[in-house]
Amino acid sequence: MITLSKVTSITGEEGNFTVTVKKYPRYVDMDACIACGTCAEKCPAKVVDEFNEGLAKRKAIYVPYAQAVPLKYAIDRDNCIYFQKGRCRACEKFCPTKAIRFDDVETDITLQVGSVILTAGFTPFNPAKFDNYQHARFPNVVTSMEFERILSAGGPFAGHVKRLSDGVEPKKIAWLQCVGSRDMNRCDNPYCSSVCCMYAIKESVIAKEHLGKDFQPTIFYMDMRTHGKDFEKYYDRAREEGVRFIRSRVHTITEVDASGTLNLAYVSDTGKRVEEEFDMVVLSVGMEPAQSGIDAANILGIELNPYRFVKTADTSPVSTSRKGIYVAGSLQGCKDIPQSVVEASAAACQASVSLSSARGTLVRDKIFPAELHVAADTPRIGVFVCNCGINIGGIADVPAVAAYAKTLPHVAYVEEDLFACSQDTQEKMVDVIKKEKLNRIVVAACTPRTHEPLFQETIRNAGLNAYLFEMANIRNQCTWVHSQEKDKATAKAKDLVRMAISRASLLEPIPDLSVPVSKTALVIGGGIAGMTAALSLANQGFSATIVEKSGILGGAALDVLHTWKGEDVPSYLNDLIRDVSANSNITVLLNAEVIDASGFVGNFETKVRRNDSIQTILHGATIIATGGKAARVDEYGYGKNPRITRWHDLENNPEMLADANSVVFIQCVGSRDENRPYCSRICCTTSMMQAIAIREKSPDTSVFILYRDIRTFGERELLYKKARELGVVFIQYSLDKKPVVTETPDGLLVDVFDPVLQQPLQIQADLVNLATAIESAPNEDIAGFYKLPLNAEKFFMEAHAKLRPVDFASDGIFVCGLAHYPKPIDESIAQAMAAAGRAATVLSKTAISVSPLVSKVDTGKCIGCGLCAEVCPFGAIILEDADGKGYRAKNISASCKGCGLCAASCPQKAIEMLHFKDEQILAAVCAAGR
Amino acid sequence: MENFEPKIVAFLCNWCAYAGADLAGVSRLQHPSFMRTVRVMCSGRVDPIFIIQALKNGCDGALVAG
Amino acid sequence: MSNSSPIGSVLVVGGGITGMQSALDLAESGYYVYLIEQSPAIGGAMAQLDKTFPTNDCSM
Repeated sequence: MITLSKVTSITGEEGNFTVTVKKYPRYVDMDACIACGTCAEKCPAKVVDEFNEGLAKRKAIYVPYAQAVPLKYAIDRDNCIYFQKGRCRACEKFCPTKAIRFDDVETDITLQVGSVILTAGFTPFNPAKFDNYQHARFPNVVTSMEFERILSAGGPFAGHVKRLSDGVEPKKIAWLQCVGSRDMNRCDNPYCSSVCCMYAIKESVIAKEHLGKDFQPTIFYMDMRTHGKDFEKYYDRAREEGVRFIRSRVHTITEVDASGTLNLAYVSDTGKRVEEEFDMVVLSVGMEPAQSGIDAANILGIELNPYRFVKTADTSPVSTSRKGIYVAGSLQGCKDIPQSVVEASAAACQASVSLSSARGTLVRDKIFPAELHVAADTPRIGVFVCNCGINIGGIADVPAVAAYAKTLPHVAYVEEDLFACSQDTQEKMVDVIKKEKLNRIVVAACTPRTHEPLFQETIRNAGLNAYLFEMANIRNQCTWVHSQEKDKATAKAKDLVRMAISRASLLEPIPDLSVPVSKTALVIGGGIAGMTAALSLANQGFSATIVEKSGILGGAALDVLHTWKGEDVPSYLNDLIRDVSANSNITVLLNAEVIDASGFVGNFETKVRRNDSIQTILHGATIIATGGKAARVDEYGYGKNPRITRWHDLENNPEMLADANSVVFIQCVGSRDENRPYCSRICCTTSMMQAIAIREKSPDTSVFILYRDIRTFGERELLYKKARELGVVFIQYSLDKKPVVTETPDGLLVDVFDPVLQQPLQIQADLVNLATAIESAPNEDIAGFYKLPLNAEKFFMEAHAKLRPVDFASDGIFVCGLAHYPKPIDESIAQAMAAAGRAATVLSKTAISVSPLVSKVDTGKCIGCGLCAEVCPFGAIILEDADGKGYRAKNISASCKGCGLCAASCPQKAIEMLHFKDEQILAAVCAAGR
Repeated sequence: MENFEPKIVAFLCNWCAYAGADLAGVSRLQHPSFMRTVRVMCSGRVDPIFIIQALKNGCDGALVAG
Repeated sequence: MSNSSPIGSVLVVGGGITGMQSALDLAESGYYVYLIEQSPAIGGAMAQLDKTFPTNDCSM
C-alpha cells in the first residue's frame, strides 16, 4: 500500500507494464508513528477539515479520521506553520517516538506490473457556483455530503442534527433532488447520478430517527429512482414513516429572516404556485468523475466518454480502450456501492485472466519456526504491560499494575513497555520468551480487535502457538474512558490483567486447520451470466461445469437484440456460446438439473440428473446463475388480443409495426405493486430504446409511454432525452389511477388520467406493449440444497447488500445475473466476472486455511438431540448415523465460524468451543469478581 | 449504600458490542468504571452458568450485549 | 500479450471501496498488489458516509 501517491507515467503492454509513481512526503516516519495524537494536540495550526466537508477544523498534522488505515499521522505542508513561516516544530518536540521527519522528500517509485486497475472514483458536484441553489450564501443550505457528516456520530456535531446558522434543531428539512444531474440548462451534466434518490430517502429516514416524530422531511423530485434491490421497499417504508414526496423542481430559495429560515417556491403537480418555509435545505448533489481519475486516465492513455467517465463496452464492462488496463467503480459511470464492489471483483478477475501463468510467482508465504510442545508444561506466564506513551501510563499507575501482576499465580515474568507494539519491543519480546522459557503470554495494552494478530505473529516467531496468547484491554476500555478517575482506572486495569492471566493459564495450543480444494467450479445456469462466469474461470486455467435446465445455452438474453449502448446482442451471444462450447476446460450439461448437494467450501458434492441418469460432481466453488424471466400477466388484456404484447415481442416481430399508427407502452406491469414490491430496473430503458427505434424508422407513428417514474439511471438518461426530442409522448400515471385498455372493432382504446392537464385522456392504439415484471427462476430447490437464503421475491440474498454483493454467508458459493435481481446485460456480465473472480480466490489455493477456533463434539456424551444443528447459523453441525446408536452431532470445521452457540445450548455439555471453553471463560469470570 | 460501587461482568460479542466498547474508547466517551469485560465470539456463547458463577464469585450484576 | 511470460503483479490506482476490493481479490488469488492512493489514508468517499460502515478494515 502506497499512500500520498500519483501515477506519473506508464510504458509497456499487457502483461508487462512499467509504471512510475510519485510519492509525496508524509513528513512522519510510518514505522515510528504510533498514532498517539500528541502531535495534533500540540499543533497550533487549525485547518479546514475536508473529511468533514469543511464543517469542522483539523490540525496541520492529522489523520483524516479516527479509523483511518494506515493509522499514521501526516503533515499537510501547505498549512504547516513551520513549512510556511519557518518556525514552530511543536510536533517534533512533543512526539514521544521521534517520528517527525521535516526533511522527508518526494520520491519516484518504479513498479513492474502485469495489469493496472483504475478506481479513482467520483467527486460530488459542487453547487456553490450556481446562484439558484444559494449554497454559498445561505448557511442552512447544505449539500448531501455535508449532511452525511452532520448525521454522523463521528462528525462535527457528534450526530446532533442542527442548523448551521443558529445551532437550532430543524423541524422541517427539504431535500432537492437532481442537483448537478439531469440538467442541461445550468450544470451541463445530462446524466442521472443513480444514487441520489436512495441516499436522500436514507438521510431523511435517519434524520427522522435523530429528530423524533415531529420532524417533517420533504423530498422534491422529478422521478424517484429506487431501482436497486430492496430499494422500493425502503421507499414505501419512508412514505409510511411520514417522509413527504413532492414531484416538483423548486425554482427559488430565499431567506425569510435573520435566523436563516428558508422559503421555497415551487409549482405543485396540479400546476399551482406554492411557497413553503423550511428550516434547512439539503441539496442532493450528483457525481462527477474525480479529476485525479481523469488525470490518471490521460497518463495511462485510455479513452473517456463525452462526460469524462472511462469508456467501456456493455459486453466488456471493466475493460478500457487499452489492453491490460481495467476500470471499476464510479470512474466508469455513476453507480452505487454494491455495483462498484461488483466491478472491483470483475476487474480483479479480468486483470488476472491474462496473468494466470504468473499466478503465485511474486507472493510468498511467511515461514515460522517450529512450534514448541508446551501444552503439558506448567504455565509460565509472561505479562507485558504497555504504557502506550501516555495513553495508558498517563492515567493508570502502570508500575503498580505490573507489580500486582507479579504476585499472581503462574506469572513468571513481567515487564513494562513504552509501546508494546513497536518493532523493537516485538523483537525483544521474542528474545524474552525464549530466555525465560515462557509458555503463555499476556499483553495488557489496547484492543485485541486491532492488535491480537500482531502479537500472535510475534509469539509464533518465538515458537509458541498463536492461541497461547491473551490481551487485557486496559486502554480503549479503561484509561481512555476513565481518564478523570485515575485510581479507579488503575483498579480496573489490575482486575482486567488478573482476568487475562487467569484465563491465560488455561489456554491450550490449537493446531492450524486447512481443507483441500477441488479446483473446479459448478455453474448453475447457462445464460449470459453463467457462461461468462464459466469462461472467466476457464481462461484462468480452472475447469467448470455448466448445468443448464433447458436444451440450449443463452437464457433470457436470447430475446434481446441490443444492449442499452446499442451493441448487438445476438452476435455477442453466438460468439459466447461458441467460445464456451469450444473451451476444453468447460463441460456443458444441457437438459440437466441439480437434484441434491452437500459439502462446503473447496469440497462440494452435487448430484445432477440428466435425462434419466444421475451423476455426482465434485467441485470447490459453486456459482448460482439461475436467471429470471419476464412475467406473464393477465392484466391489460394480455393473452386475449394479439395486439397486446410484452417486452421484445414487437422488436422480434417487426412486421407487426408495419402499419401501426399508434403504439402505447405501459410500464410497471406487475412491478412496484403489492405482489411484487420491487422495481424491475431495466424496463424503462428497454421501452425507451424501442420507442426511439419506432420514431426513428417511422416518424408518423405516435408513440406513448405511460409510466410511474422514469428510471433511466446513469447515462441511460440520454435515451430518455432523445426519446423526448423525437416526440415520444410521456404520461405519468399513479397506482390508484392505472390505465385501462379496452378492445374496439378498429383496435385498442387506452384510457389514462393526465396529471399535467388534470383530466382523463383517451388514446386510440394499434398496439399496446407491456413492460411486465422480471421474475426470479423457481429458486427454492437450489436454495434448499445449498442452504442459501432467498428474499421475499425468491431472488437470492447475498451476504451483505453493500460490501459482499456476489458472496453468500456460506463460503465458496457465489451469485450473479438475474438470480440476484433484475439487471441489464452489462451488469450481469460484470457480476458474472465478479463471481468468477471471487471463486478464483478459492480455486487458486491447494488448501484453504480456516480459523481453527471451532467447536468439538464429544460423541461419548452426545445424545443426538440435534439442538446444536438446529441453532447453528452456518449449517456447520450435522447429525450422523452412529451404527445402531442413533444420531451423533458432527462439526464441519470448514463451515464453523466459532460463535459457540452449539456449546452454550448443548444440554449434555458434549460440545466444547475451542479457545472459548467453559473453564477458560469461567476462569476470567471468576477472576472478575474477586 | 450511598458509596456502593457495583461490579458488573459484561459479556460482549467480539463483532459488535466489544467493538462498540472499543469505539467508546476511541471517542473518549467517559463512563463509570465498574464494568469488567469478558470477550466472547458471539453473545449466544454465554451459558447461564457463566452468569450464576459471576454472581457467586462476587460480581453484583451481569450484562450480555451483542 | 507479450511473448515473454507476464508479471504476476497488479497496480490498483485508488484506495476507495472499489480499489480495496480489487486489491483484496487479487492478493487472495496469488498476485502481488500495489495499491496507490493520493491521500494519506485509504477508505475513499464511503468512509465519509454515516451508516453503512461495518468494518473499517482493509485487511492489507
